[in-house]
Amino acid sequence: MRVQKKIIKVCGLKDPDNMRAVGMLRPDMMGFIFHRPSPRDVTDTIGDLPLLDIPASVTRVAVVVDQSLEFCLGIVERFGFGAIQLHGYQTPEFCRTLRKHCLVIKAFALRNALPVDVADYEGCCDYFLFDTAGTAAGGSGMTFNHAVLYNYRGHTPFLVAGGLDHDTSLNILDLPIPYMAGVDLNSRYEITPGIKDPDRVNRTITSIRQPRPHKQGNPLKNLRLQRVNQLPHPDENGYYGEFGGAFIPELLQANVDELKSVYKQYINEEGFKNAFGQLLNDYVGRPTPLYYALRLSELFGCRIYLKREDLCHTGAHKLNNVVGQALLAQKMNKKQIVAETGAGQHGVATATVCAMLGLPCRVFMGEKDTRRQKVNVLRMKMLGAEVIPVTSGSQTLKDATNEAIRYWINHPDDTYYLIGSSIGPHPYPDMVARFQSVISHEIKWQLAEKEGRQDPDYVLACVGGGSNAAGAFFHFIDNGFTRLVGAEAAGKGVNSGHTAATISVGSQGVLHGTKTLLMQNADGQIVEAHSISAGLDYPGIGPMHAWLHHTSRAGFLAITDTEAMEAARMLSLTEGIIPAIESAHALALLNKLSLKETDVVVVNLSGRGDKDMETYSEYYPHYEENKQKQ
Amino acid sequence: MSTKPNDSLLELLHDSREEKLLSVYITAGFPCLEDTMPDMKTLARSGVDFLEIGMPFSDPLADGPVIQQSSTIALQNGMSLGVLFEQLSAFNGIMPAPSLLMGYLNPVLCFGLEAFCQKARAVGISGVILPDLPMREYLESYRKVFQKHRLHFIFLVTPTTPESRIRQIDEVSTAFIYVVGSSSTTGNQHSDHGRETYLKRLLDMNLKTPLVVGFGISNATSLQQAWRYAKGAITGTAYIGRRMKGQSPDKAVSELFHQLGLKPRSTSDRQAQTPEAETTVEAFKPLTSKLYIP
Ligand SMILES: Cc1ncc(COP(=O)(O)O)c(C=O)c1O
Repeated sequence: MRVQKKIIKVCGLKDPDNMRAVGMLRPDMMGFIFHRPSPRDVTDTIGDLPLLDIPASVTRVAVVVDQSLEFCLGIVERFGFGAIQLHGYQTPEFCRTLRKHCLVIKAFALRNALPVDVADYEGCCDYFLFDTAGTAAGGSGMTFNHAVLYNYRGHTPFLVAGGLDHDTSLNILDLPIPYMAGVDLNSRYEITPGIKDPDRVNRTITSIRQPRPHKQGNPLKNLRLQRVNQLPHPDENGYYGEFGGAFIPELLQANVDELKSVYKQYINEEGFKNAFGQLLNDYVGRPTPLYYALRLSELFGCRIYLKREDLCHTGAHKLNNVVGQALLAQKMNKKQIVAETGAGQHGVATATVCAMLGLPCRVFMGEKDTRRQKVNVLRMKMLGAEVIPVTSGSQTLKDATNEAIRYWINHPDDTYYLIGSSIGPHPYPDMVARFQSVISHEIKWQLAEKEGRQDPDYVLACVGGGSNAAGAFFHFIDNGFTRLVGAEAAGKGVNSGHTAATISVGSQGVLHGTKTLLMQNADGQIVEAHSISAGLDYPGIGPMHAWLHHTSRAGFLAITDTEAMEAARMLSLTEGIIPAIESAHALALLNKLSLKETDVVVVNLSGRGDKDMETYSEYYPHYEENKQKQ
Repeated sequence: MSTKPNDSLLELLHDSREEKLLSVYITAGFPCLEDTMPDMKTLARSGVDFLEIGMPFSDPLADGPVIQQSSTIALQNGMSLGVLFEQLSAFNGIMPAPSLLMGYLNPVLCFGLEAFCQKARAVGISGVILPDLPMREYLESYRKVFQKHRLHFIFLVTPTTPESRIRQIDEVSTAFIYVVGSSSTTGNQHSDHGRETYLKRLLDMNLKTPLVVGFGISNATSLQQAWRYAKGAITGTAYIGRRMKGQSPDKAVSELFHQLGLKPRSTSDRQAQTPEAETTVEAFKPLTSKLYIP
C-alpha cells in the first residue's frame, strides 16, 4: 500500500527558541539527539528544554545510539517522548519490548545497498529510517544512493534521512516507492549545528503539504466514455474527424494511390491475413505475454499488467507493422524498401524483415540519433541495411522522415516507403494502426483469461508518432469504458522550450502529408522537438491520436525526461525488466493517476532498454551527482 | 493597390506571338532578408518573364538540398509571410514581372487562408503554388477562397500522373499546368530520355491549359526540350546555387542565362510589367473566351 500523507521529521534540535520556532511550523516529528559526540547532543540539557511548548500534534522523538533499555525507557517516561529512534545494534527483541511503551523507529545506515538485516526487524518497529552510512546519528550532510530503495521488500513504512535539502526531499517523495513514509531534515536546514533555519524548514513543509500540482484533481476527468459502435477507422479520404487526409505533392500521388488500392485489396483478404498472422506468431514471437506485475501492483495499489511488446523479436512493437507493410510491398512488386527511424527500433525492424524477405533496405536516421542509438545502427548494418545519417534540421526523426520521403519522390517506381509510426498521408496512419492492433486484440483475450473480463480500466502507452498506442488502444476505443491514456514526452518540461509534448503545446497544421497537431511557431514553421528518448522526439502526432484527444476519448499527459528515467529505474528494480526509455514514459503515467485497488491497468511496454543502456548509464550517475550538488 | 483583374500572367501565357517563357524561382529573404525585391527587379529587368517567390518552410519535402538550404537561411534571416507581404507591398501592387508565390501549406494555414489570399492579392501576386495541397482538398475547401481573391492556383503533373487525372487538372486549372519534368525533388539532374516521350504525350493530349516545365531545367538542352513542347520553363536551383556562392543578382542572372544558352533579354517589350511604366497597363487585350479569370 502506498503511504499517503508524508511524514516530515526535523531532527537535531537543541536550542529553546529555535525549537519553539520550528515547532510552530508543525512538522510531524521533531528529533532530539542523545549522543555525546554529536554537536546536537541534548543529553545534559534536555531538562531545560521547553518540550511542552511544542504543539501536541508534533511527535517528539528521542534519538539514541546503542543505549540500554533502561536509559530508553527512562527518557521516554521522564520527558514524554512519543517515539524513540534507535541507531546502532539493538536487536529486534529490544525493539519489540520498547514498542510497548512508544513508537519505535529503527535506523539503518547505508550507502549503496540496503542492509541485509532489515527483514529481521519486520513487524517489531513502527518505522524504519534509512540514513547515510559514515556518521552516527546523522548530520553528515551526505546522501546515499536513493535508487537502492527500489529494492526494499519490506512492509514497514520508512523515512529517508541523510543530506536532504529542499529539492532532494521533494524529489524523493516523488519517487514511486512503496512504504516510503517521509523525510528526515537535518544538517541542510541548519544555520549552525543544532540551529535550524525556520524559513527553509517552512518552505519544504509547505511544498510537501501542498497538493502536488500533477496529482491535483483527476487529469482524466474530461474523458468522454461513451460506447460507440465502430472501431477507429478513418473515412474514405483518411480523415479521423478533421484530422488526417493525404496532403502530398503530386509527385507522390500515384504512389500513394497505388498503396491505397493494394492495402484495401489485401487487408481483409484471407490469404494475406494468414500470411501476416503466421509471421506474427513464428517470426515476431507472438502472442507476447500479458504479465501480472505483482510488485508494481503493490507499489501503486492496483492490478497492473504489462503487455510485453519488449519481447517481440528485435525488442519492440515496431516489428508488427513492418511485417505487415513488407508483405504489402511484396504484393506490389517493389524492389527496395526505404524507411526512417528515430530510436532505431523501426530501422532495425525494417532491416530485419528486409533481410528475411531478401529486399534491399535503406534507412534514414538523424545524425544525432545515430549517436544516441549506436547499437541499433550496428544492428541495421549487420542486417545488411544501408544507414544514411541525416544532417539537415534537428537531425532527428522529423528530418529522417523528410529525407525518406524525398528519396521516395526520387524513386517512385521501385521503392516502397515503409513508415514506422501511425503518421504520414492516408492510408499510412490507418494501416499502421491496423497492423499494430494485434496488441489490443491479444490483451482482450489474455485479460479475459486472467481477470475474467476483456476490458481493463486503463490502458497506458507512450506516444511518439503513436503506433504502439494506436495498437494498444485500438480494440478498446469503442467500448466506452476503458480509460485510454497516452504519455507524450515533455522533455525538460512542457514549457521549457525543450519538449516533444505535441498535444500539450501543439496546434493544428500539416506535416508529412497529414493534418494533425504539430509543434510550430507563430509563422507555421515546425519547431524542433526534444526528448531524451529518440523514439518520441517528433514534433507531431498521428492523426488518430489528435482525434482521440479532440473528442476526449483518450487523455494525453506529458512526462518529463526525469520522470521517465526514474520510472525506468523503478521497473528495472521492482520487476527485473529494463524498459526502453520510450516505454518508461508510459510507466511514469502510473504515478500521475489516482488508481483504485480494483483498477485493472494495462501498460503497453513497447520496447526493451538494451538500446538505451548508454543513455541510462550516462544519466544516473550524473543525476545523482547533480542531486548531491544541490 | 491594383484593382484591375490580375491577368498579367494570363496575358503572357496566351501571348499570340509564339514566344517561349522563362520563369525563375527565388527564395524570399535569401541570401539576405532584404534581397527579395532586388532579386525580383534584376530578374525582371534581365528578361525573365515571370517569377516564383518561394515562401521558406522548415520542412520543404519536395525540395533538394540547395533550396532546402536557402530556405533554412531565409528563415534564420527572419523571413516569414508577414515580412514577405510587407516587402512586396513596396511595389505598390505592381510586380516587376507577374509573380507567383510558391511554398508549403502549413505556413499558409497558420497565417490564415483568407488573410493570406487577401494579402497576396493586395500586393499584386497573380497566383499560388502549394505542392502539398492536393487537388481533392483544393476543390473541396480551398478553391472558393482563391477564386474570391482572384488568385490562380497552379497544379503540378508528373510522369506518374495518370491521364484521367491530368484531364481533371486541365479542367480546373486557370493559368498553367506546372509540369514536373522528372520524378524528383528540385535540383536533381536526371539523365532522362523518358522526359521527351513524356512531354510529347502531354502535348498530344491537346490540353486547354498552357504547360510550363519545371524541375531539372539546368542547361540549354533541357531548356530547349521544355520549350519545344511547352509554353515555358522554370528554373530555380541553378539561380539559387549561384546566389548561395555569393554572386550578385546581376552576375547570377547573366551566368544563369549563359548556362541556359540564352542572351540576356531586353525588357523593352515587356515594359508594362515595371512599376515605372504603370500608365501602359491599360493596354491589355481582351482575353480569349477559353480563358478563365479567377
Ligand atoms: C520502444 C519504442 N516505443 C515507442 C516508440 C514510439 O513510437 P510510436 O509512438 O509509433 O509507438 C518507439 C519509437 O522508436 C520505440 O522504439
